[in-house]
Amino acid sequence: MIGTSVSHLRRSVVLLGVAMLLLASGTHAAPGDQSGMFIMGVDGMDPVILQRLIDEGKMPNFERLAEEGSFQSLGTANPPQSPVAWSNFVTGMNPGGHGIFDFMHRDKKNYAPLSSATKVSEEEVTALHVFGFVIPISGGDLENNRGGTPWWDYLHKKGVDVEVYRIPGNYPTPASEAKVLSGMGTTDLRGGFGTYTLYTDQLVERDKPKGDIQFVTVRDLDLDGTPDTVTSALKGPPDQLHLEPGQVPSDNQYINVGITVHLDSDSDTAVVDVAGEHVLIQEGEWSDWVELNFDMAPMGLMPVSGIVRFYAKELRPGFQLYASPVNISPTSPLAPITSPDDFVEDLHDGVGFFYTQGMPEDNDALKDGVFDEDDYIKQVRLVQDDTNEMLNLALDRFEPGDATFVYFSDIDLQCHMLWRHADPKQLDAPPHPAHDADVARGHELDIEGFYTDVDKALGHVRKRLPEGTTIMVMSDHGFQSYTRQLHLNAWLRERGYLVMKEGKRTGYTVTQDIDWSKTKAFGLGFNGLYLNVKGREAQGSLDPSEVDGVMAKLAEELEAYRDPKNGKRVVKKVFRATEAYSGPRVSEGPDLLVGYDKGYGASDESTLGEVTEETIADNTSRWSGNHLMDPSVVPGVLLMNRKLESDGHDLTDLAATILSHYGIATPSDMVGEAIQ
Amino acid sequence: MVATINNVANAIFDLLMAPLGHEWVAIDMLVWPCVMGVVALQVYKMVSNQAAIISVKRQISMHLLEIRLFRDDIMQVFKSLVQIVVKNFLYIAHNLTPMVVMLVPMVMVMVQMVSHYGYEPSKVGAVELLHVKLDSSAGVSTKDVSLSLPEGVSLDAPVVRTASGDVFWRLRAEQAGDHTLALKLGGRELVKQWAVGGDVRRVPVKRLRSWEALLYPGEAALPSDGPVVSIELASDVRALDYFPDGEGGILLWAMALSIVAGIALKDVFGVTF
Repeated sequence: MIGTSVSHLRRSVVLLGVAMLLLASGTHAAPGDQSGMFIMGVDGMDPVILQRLIDEGKMPNFERLAEEGSFQSLGTANPPQSPVAWSNFVTGMNPGGHGIFDFMHRDKKNYAPLSSATKVSEEEVTALHVFGFVIPISGGDLENNRGGTPWWDYLHKKGVDVEVYRIPGNYPTPASEAKVLSGMGTTDLRGGFGTYTLYTDQLVERDKPKGDIQFVTVRDLDLDGTPDTVTSALKGPPDQLHLEPGQVPSDNQYINVGITVHLDSDSDTAVVDVAGEHVLIQEGEWSDWVELNFDMAPMGLMPVSGIVRFYAKELRPGFQLYASPVNISPTSPLAPITSPDDFVEDLHDGVGFFYTQGMPEDNDALKDGVFDEDDYIKQVRLVQDDTNEMLNLALDRFEPGDATFVYFSDIDLQCHMLWRHADPKQLDAPPHPAHDADVARGHELDIEGFYTDVDKALGHVRKRLPEGTTIMVMSDHGFQSYTRQLHLNAWLRERGYLVMKEGKRTGYTVTQDIDWSKTKAFGLGFNGLYLNVKGREAQGSLDPSEVDGVMAKLAEELEAYRDPKNGKRVVKKVFRATEAYSGPRVSEGPDLLVGYDKGYGASDESTLGEVTEETIADNTSRWSGNHLMDPSVVPGVLLMNRKLESDGHDLTDLAATILSHYGIATPSDMVGEAIQ
Repeated sequence: MVATINNVANAIFDLLMAPLGHEWVAIDMLVWPCVMGVVALQVYKMVSNQAAIISVKRQISMHLLEIRLFRDDIMQVFKSLVQIVVKNFLYIAHNLTPMVVMLVPMVMVMVQMVSHYGYEPSKVGAVELLHVKLDSSAGVSTKDVSLSLPEGVSLDAPVVRTASGDVFWRLRAEQAGDHTLALKLGGRELVKQWAVGGDVRRVPVKRLRSWEALLYPGEAALPSDGPVVSIELASDVRALDYFPDGEGGILLWAMALSIVAGIALKDVFGVTF
């Protein structure tokens, strides 16, 4: 009897011991017991500007974070372009692995620029033609072109609750069980990166505006001598049921809804009547979001939902009503903007309607002169409101052990657009070529303001996060002034690398202007330089045996080139893709990467494959700050609330670092290493 | 006429609906569609020619059997198919009258369900648009319309009077309450209710001059001889937890559940359809 009891007791003790061991080991293995991680991704935050503002006491929360933990420069991507850089961050690979080399890639078939974000599935495209309708049957699906596995998928697999808000380069949204909202690169309902509409009875400043300018007449409907009514249309999605698969819609191949603006005769107030919805708006005021349905099929059988907001820039005596790009509605998205698909419902329940378009700050309207500085800043504030609401939602949902990423876009966009007013990095810099003292007055410190806004957000985050949460603040690149633009294709023409057809001096790579049989190299994208290699390009002229020599000569000449205006170096370094990259997709990208020096960059024209008359010129555009340069001149930032043992890290190290935090070994296809 | 029907319906359903208050949505969402199904069965039984329906259904079955039995005789199969089509039309014809008669009580119940549960009071701080539409043939000017606001409601922007006979006010709900917005048009005075904050309750949506006022019994119809076509205040659709939200959801739910109830109980009530 006693022996049995002892045996029971012994067995119980052993079992208890085993259970305690299991519990103890579980303490380290269960993701819920890890300290969580909260990552703030601040696009374009520059270490020099940040350090100055910290030194001046304007960024107290960043100062505290740096003191408690670490603040160091973070190597950016090569080239330092947002889609490339964020793909490095997401996958832990460089472009040779993930396949995103630039905003734009070239179409090998015809030298045309292609969006780098998407690839069309290789399945054969078939469509049924019924009563004049084109019904797609198979193929033509757009897929995200980014290769590799995002860090959030590894975390989700490990059992970590992971949420990612507005991550760039994630649209079309890949399937994932992790909760992810796609950011930069998400299209508007038209399928572009955001086309605003301006209804106006006046001329716009720019020759080829990027927006949809609708010239309207204010009619006097009641014949009382005061013009009172404007009628026009708002374009929605392409009319897919009348387009062949892959066909680019022409101007009249979009689904429209009617819009009528009723102006009050006694006040600067109007009612916008659009698709049965009424919006009362005063001059100088922004409306709330209005949800609209665009009928793809007769009798409302296939409604496509979009959201739009209006800005009454001027109602009388001139008429200018701005309509935002029609964003994909979060209530019933035309295409998934989140993974899983229903995560968007949580977001809409939490914050209501929000900008779903990838780059919501309407810099096109500012570039076109449709917005002045004040209009633009007002619109940016609306985006900031969205960001702050989204941040609050993310914080509400954050539990100990979770991993959350929130993206902040404002510093990047505002550095691009407002740098010309006052250089925030080199305070004694001469005025930017696009500087206008009258316009700049009152806007000199705008960029600083956006930095301090992020500081406030960081303070808010620190207050609300559970104790012990690891905080990471990172940026994808820094910034520099952009004062001079190189027309790379004109430069290539001047040196005989690019040859125009007889009698032509200017033109485009995609049209019949270039003599490809004599052309050795051409520029496309912001930093890309391609060789016209036989057997690879459609009309290749360069024998593969000549490639090495031509690349060396091009690099040497570009690096030796000096700006005729001031004698400064234009290109700091030319990189060979085969040396800069590793991975299975190296051959998909450009052959050479042009690393522009401080102040320099590729012109818009050259980026799109245009060959211009002049070779180098002042940048007089409002797009006055830039980062599409040599990676060494535009590093980003990395701050963490723990001491880092080493420095000299780059973006590809962050994915491994996040995984390491949760005890996940760095996957073999990542080139980055976990930061200790 | 419209006002009388609405008054009678309101008197009945205000007694019967929301017996435990408007928060208990499940009671009405489950009970009333079932009641509708039962009422519809009874109406159908009374109004339809049950014998004729039974007969025509039997004939359709018989013709289907013919097709199976004489499938080698192509002419017979063809004749049977024609008969099936003809008898189907006959079946539909037998159902038309009862359907129309059934529709009246069903619509009435569904309208009351939407009226009680389809909308929720505006939140304090909400900004909504009040829209008055005038009859362009009535010879009145939009400038003749004025609005008096009660305490707790403020004007958020100047009024807009359109050339097409509409007047819009953007109003802000400052305090909770059932506010009365007073409109003056010449010598006439019209009111519009605005439910703001407080408990879940029946919410007035719009006032109409036409027969469509039957669909919005929450407020009195507008005078049929008056110059105002409609008075509308944008309202929030109510989220109904386990049931579909708002007007469309309630209608679909009520229709579907009443059909299910009708099918389930048809033998109990001895009804054939």
